[in-house]
Amino acid sequence: MEKYLLRNIENPNSADINEYVKAGGYKALAKAMDMKPADIIEQVKKSGLRGRGGAGFPTGMKWAFAAADPKMPKYLLCNADEGEPGTFKDRPLLEKNPHLLIEGMIISGHALRAKYGYIYLRGEYPQAKDILEAAIKQAYEKKFLGDNILGRGVKFDLCVHQGAGAYICGEETALIESLEGRRGQPRIKPPFPVNEGFLAKPTVVNNVETFSNVPYVLEIGPEEYSKIGSSDCPGPKLFSVSGHVKKPGVYELPMGTTLRDIIYTHCGGVTGDKKLKAVIPGGISTPVLPADKLDCPMDFVNMPKHGSMLGSGAVMVFDETVDLPKVCLRAIKFFEHESCGKCTPCREGIGWMRSILGRICGGTGNAGDIDLLLEVSKNVMGKTFCPLGDGAATVVQNFIKNFRNEFEAHINNKVRAER
Amino acid sequence: MITVTINGKQIKLEKPVSILEAAKMTGIKIPTLCHHKSLEAYGGCRLCLVEIEKMPRLQASCTQYVTDGMVVWTETGRVVEARKAMLEFLLINHALDCPYCDKAGECDLQDLVMKYGPAAGRFTEGKRKHPESYDDPIIVRNMERCISCTRCVRMCSKVQGASAISMVNRTSKTFVEPFSGGRYNCEYCGNCINVCPVGAIMSRLHKHTYRPWFIEKTVDTVCSFCGVGCSVTAQIRGNSIVRIIPESEKGLNRGLLCNRGRFGYDYISNSGRLKSPMIRKNGSLQETTWSEAFMYIAQKIKEIKEKNGGAAIAGVASGRCTNEDNYVFQKFMRLVVGSNNIDSIAGFAYAPARKFFEKIFGQGVTANPIQGISRSDGIFVIGGDPTAINPVLGLQIRAASQKDIPVATVGYAPGLKGFAANRLIPKPSTEAALLAALLTEMLKRKPLPAEKTPFEEIIGKIQPVSLNEAESACGIASGEISACVDSLSGMTNPALVIGRDIIQRSEGQANLLLLAALAQALNGRIYLSSELPNEQGLIDMGCLPDMLPGGRPVAVDSFRKRYGEFFNAEVPSAQGLSLMEMVEGAHSGNIKALYVMGENIAFNIPDNKFVKDALSRLELLVVQDIFTTETTRFAHVVLPAASWAEREGSYTNLEGRMQHLKKAIDSVAGLEDWKIIAEVSKVLGVDMNYRDSRDILAEIAKVSPLHKGVTYEDMDSGECMWPYKGEPLRHDLNIVGIDMPDMKALLKKPEKDKVYIGVDKVLFHSASLSRNSFALNSIYSEPHAKIGKNLAAKLSVASGDHISISTGAGAIELAAVIDSDMPDNIVLVPNNFEGRGAFRVMGWKMNAAFKAPALDGMEAVLKKLERVSAEVSE
Amino acid sequence: MKLSDKVAAEINSIKSRYQDPRSCLLPSLYVVQKADGWIAPEAMAAVGELLNVPGATVKGVATFYSMFRHKPMGRHLIQLCTNVACLVMGAEELVDILKGKYGLEPNGTSPDGRFSLVIMECIGACGTAPAMLVDTDFHENLNEKNIIDTLENYK
Repeated sequence: MEKYLLRNIENPNSADINEYVKAGGYKALAKAMDMKPADIIEQVKKSGLRGRGGAGFPTGMKWAFAAADPKMPKYLLCNADEGEPGTFKDRPLLEKNPHLLIEGMIISGHALRAKYGYIYLRGEYPQAKDILEAAIKQAYEKKFLGDNILGRGVKFDLCVHQGAGAYICGEETALIESLEGRRGQPRIKPPFPVNEGFLAKPTVVNNVETFSNVPYVLEIGPEEYSKIGSSDCPGPKLFSVSGHVKKPGVYELPMGTTLRDIIYTHCGGVTGDKKLKAVIPGGISTPVLPADKLDCPMDFVNMPKHGSMLGSGAVMVFDETVDLPKVCLRAIKFFEHESCGKCTPCREGIGWMRSILGRICGGTGNAGDIDLLLEVSKNVMGKTFCPLGDGAATVVQNFIKNFRNEFEAHINNKVRAER
Repeated sequence: MITVTINGKQIKLEKPVSILEAAKMTGIKIPTLCHHKSLEAYGGCRLCLVEIEKMPRLQASCTQYVTDGMVVWTETGRVVEARKAMLEFLLINHALDCPYCDKAGECDLQDLVMKYGPAAGRFTEGKRKHPESYDDPIIVRNMERCISCTRCVRMCSKVQGASAISMVNRTSKTFVEPFSGGRYNCEYCGNCINVCPVGAIMSRLHKHTYRPWFIEKTVDTVCSFCGVGCSVTAQIRGNSIVRIIPESEKGLNRGLLCNRGRFGYDYISNSGRLKSPMIRKNGSLQETTWSEAFMYIAQKIKEIKEKNGGAAIAGVASGRCTNEDNYVFQKFMRLVVGSNNIDSIAGFAYAPARKFFEKIFGQGVTANPIQGISRSDGIFVIGGDPTAINPVLGLQIRAASQKDIPVATVGYAPGLKGFAANRLIPKPSTEAALLAALLTEMLKRKPLPAEKTPFEEIIGKIQPVSLNEAESACGIASGEISACVDSLSGMTNPALVIGRDIIQRSEGQANLLLLAALAQALNGRIYLSSELPNEQGLIDMGCLPDMLPGGRPVAVDSFRKRYGEFFNAEVPSAQGLSLMEMVEGAHSGNIKALYVMGENIAFNIPDNKFVKDALSRLELLVVQDIFTTETTRFAHVVLPAASWAEREGSYTNLEGRMQHLKKAIDSVAGLEDWKIIAEVSKVLGVDMNYRDSRDILAEIAKVSPLHKGVTYEDMDSGECMWPYKGEPLRHDLNIVGIDMPDMKALLKKPEKDKVYIGVDKVLFHSASLSRNSFALNSIYSEPHAKIGKNLAAKLSVASGDHISISTGAGAIELAAVIDSDMPDNIVLVPNNFEGRGAFRVMGWKMNAAFKAPALDGMEAVLKKLERVSAEVSE
Repeated sequence: MKLSDKVAAEINSIKSRYQDPRSCLLPSLYVVQKADGWIAPEAMAAVGELLNVPGATVKGVATFYSMFRHKPMGRHLIQLCTNVACLVMGAEELVDILKGKYGLEPNGTSPDGRFSLVIMECIGACGTAPAMLVDTDFHENLNEKNIIDTLENYK
């Protein structure tokens, strides 16, 4: 497949607006300026583009909701708070191809009649901040941003807002709270952001990769776009592959590429040709899969049928040497650290799971600990305010479901996990 | 119409509500720890999870709204299991110190664990450690008990509008903290204590003094501090109040209180309470018996009356006393003593303002429900900070502001900073120019109708003042004034909250006329701030030199006659003296005897020295009070009164609502004020024949046309609002006796290099009563002089430095506090602390229209003190 | 405490980007942290004053986000990731090395005040794990040797 999202990123100056324009950039914007906002929304709808942040919500539908709300002004927010462990797919877009995101946001802003856009960038990407700000400055200079875009009287202002280390701000209502200068805790829904989001105005929040797909939809048209990859969730998809593979990195592949293809064809197989033990296919909160489940197409529709989720498309590969209970413990420590503290089961339950896992991995686990762990996870699951707690419970439940023997081994043999 | 079925019970609803509320309507209680009816839904504790048919997940009933056809189950096995799980989670980091914790017995978590909880937790690791914080004199924080429900933080930010505390950190390390991490820098409303479901935030004053099950009885009564009249519940053990709490279902305050109401009541148990009647013998007050005291007073009054006539005797009533006390007091003065010389501190600002507005708009024009403020479409505040004077009324303004209702403040109102979109702070005493400019601009936008009412005719004659003229007079940029007009002109029925600072002025009447005109132009409702709980009531009871009970003018023969006829007596026709005239009269020798009921006039009237001088010339000074005061020191007879908690009666608040004050405890030494007066009256030959306050109210209900048929039962029903069941005074549309101010003469500028002194109304104190409260003194123990940053710079004074403030009347020395929002040439000093009150050094001029002191233009000389000198003694 | 003129000016210039001054809170805290290395309580109060946000609220926000520092830091801040991808690629050993070489404990500062160490959750360098940020620079594909070589460039 021809690369679109990552095209030109080998060019050392790919972030420069002139290079971007030379490679065909901002053509979709010119095209969009000739279109009625409603028509752009219609095209995005028709393309079948789904949000790339993890939930896979149809982008066009989200836009239509916000467009239908009469309240003004409307806001466009880019979720660049890529915090799901294992995920680094947006980083090359932000650092190497910022104008694709900017172009996508300007087009989206026009489609929604939004005049203000913010890129909520995670604090852990300080370089991306400088690169994005420089790119935005260039875009203003070229009149792609500002009060009179391309002389068409359309206004769109864009700036970068830096987060400060809170995974929960990847949840869109928490992101909005954070952008409003508050503690990043999720809001009660409804109202949904498309009706009452940033400053209580209609707000669309989309992922970096989602916005970056928008120019493509316009460039090749929704019909062509919908032919790429899986039929019910088409388009190019970025997969960030890490762990024990020969060539880790970010890959742009058609939606629906199988895990096996990603690991063995594109990433060259397991490092040192060791045996594969487990794969987390979509970032840490998606269920871990054992080595015999690699033939599922990676998309929003098919992954659940195979017992996991596409998530952010962050594939984490573990070879036979990995102590999976220890991975599970580290993952739960992450969730504990990132729990916003709002609701009881997440705030207290995850810490409890961590302490049980801690004693199992520390070689001091008790016979009933696995069942207790499962019960605590069950008491967290489905009862939290937002999906973060579910993520943690999912991790525990799936690691135990697929690799219970490893947990039992720790307990029975009183084995402390190795460094 | 929405039909929803909860536990098999079907209910129909007009509009969607949360499942929690819908269940409550059907009498089904769903447990919750984070939800509170004063607060918005939060969805944090997850105790209120319920099962909804066709939904796979359990849902939080506080955040999930009902939809048509929804079928909900609140106590299924799955739900009960989930609750047990949530409680087990909560107990992971909750200290299990119930036997030691004061909350035990009224702890929501304890109750829920008893009902749903696990018998034993399975969490075996160590709990979060967090030492209990005793850094604050009033509030104890125990964060080992905190369950992160955030009720306190939401109460503090969303309802109180103070945002003095916040949740800090995240994860299970989250806890509640004031900014300092230790002592609170807050309004001490204590509403955080009230909403804490566990023992995490508690009152230090009550720590380990009792347990909830020790409470023997509770009495619902009315707060004794300000004119709002919050409903409070006194919890009693033995013969003492162990705690005052608000009940969320009761009263206009709906579960909210301020610092004074919640903590300040402890003055009643102060050991300094007067215990015995005293008579001055050989120059000093000596304990005596009640009967000797009554005889002495009666004898003296009789002598003076015979020698100098009733007009040589005057009486001072009190806004802290009940309607019944004040009614009996004026009856005594008029019918027994034969004098209309009856007035009170209310005569300085509240009464003249009310009389003025009633003259224009009719009786009862200021009787507007406080709850209406947050439902109005705009608020205009002038003459004082309502959040300090009437804190719970102030919360209405903050609530309105949080709903984006525009608020404009004129003058220094620090409690509304951050809530007022338009904040106009004019130079001292230049509000008239500003008001006139606001009116002029308003009339340009909303001209008066062609057919004018008599008052509109008057408005039409007010000289216009331009924005530039106002700017040059009051120092506010014309753009800011016109922005305020922009905001005002969008209002269709705003609330105008008016405080005494604008009234106690030489140009007080002009200010009121301009405010009345603005009220007319804006279709506004007027609220008069009131610092005492019964200023409105004492006026209605006839404790004014020119008014009989029910607001009937003494000057009208028929009213005077009618009142006298009830008792076969005669009401004197001569108009009585105002309080300030009484003081002058005492000074000049025309007044020989002064009877003071529950007021500290030697402290609460400007120019203390003059007042004391006047008091020392009296032949008879009788003082009824609960404490020794600056005034009792000059008295010939001092009579211990019962405190607010020790008597029954009624208060009428600033909105004209009559409320039933109930006796909570027995008085140790004092008698009800009315009873003392009735006893004196009896010795003088007039037996008033009251068994209790009920008898008095029955008489009021008979003789006061406004209070026709009113009973305590009416008040207990909660809505005993003006005009009750009575007859308001018919309004005469022909307005007479209003002087047209010379606006151009009012465009004066304060002299630039002079510094003026004004009174700072402190949130934590209430006249001279609160100095007897241990709690309020622990919050605010020392008076400060507040100055602006430019004045501070000029004097090279930093916050905490001591300054001396001297005037023609004397000097005081105080620590300075700098507030950058204050105008440049004014110093504000509170009038609460003995020997260091503003009125010690403030003089006054007589406002002829109000016969009350005007406090503007009082110059002071400020000097930085290098060394703190010893406190100036009396 | 007063904010330095430079910090105050920068905050005021950022304010214009937002429709609501409160949105400027996180950026303002960053400005303070960049200038001082950490956010002192007095600075929180001053920022609150500037943005009309109560001090307690500023504190609540500042302590929610894990990248704001509430005590003075060393000259250089090492933010080392130990999340799953870095863990399986050997991040734990790197923590030991930092301790051995510089006396650095997680959340601690080396005795010479040169480095502070903070353990990070994922920093988005999983394909090049293990990784760290030193101040604002990414350093990836770390191992026992190159981590020291890299850090020696920070004096």
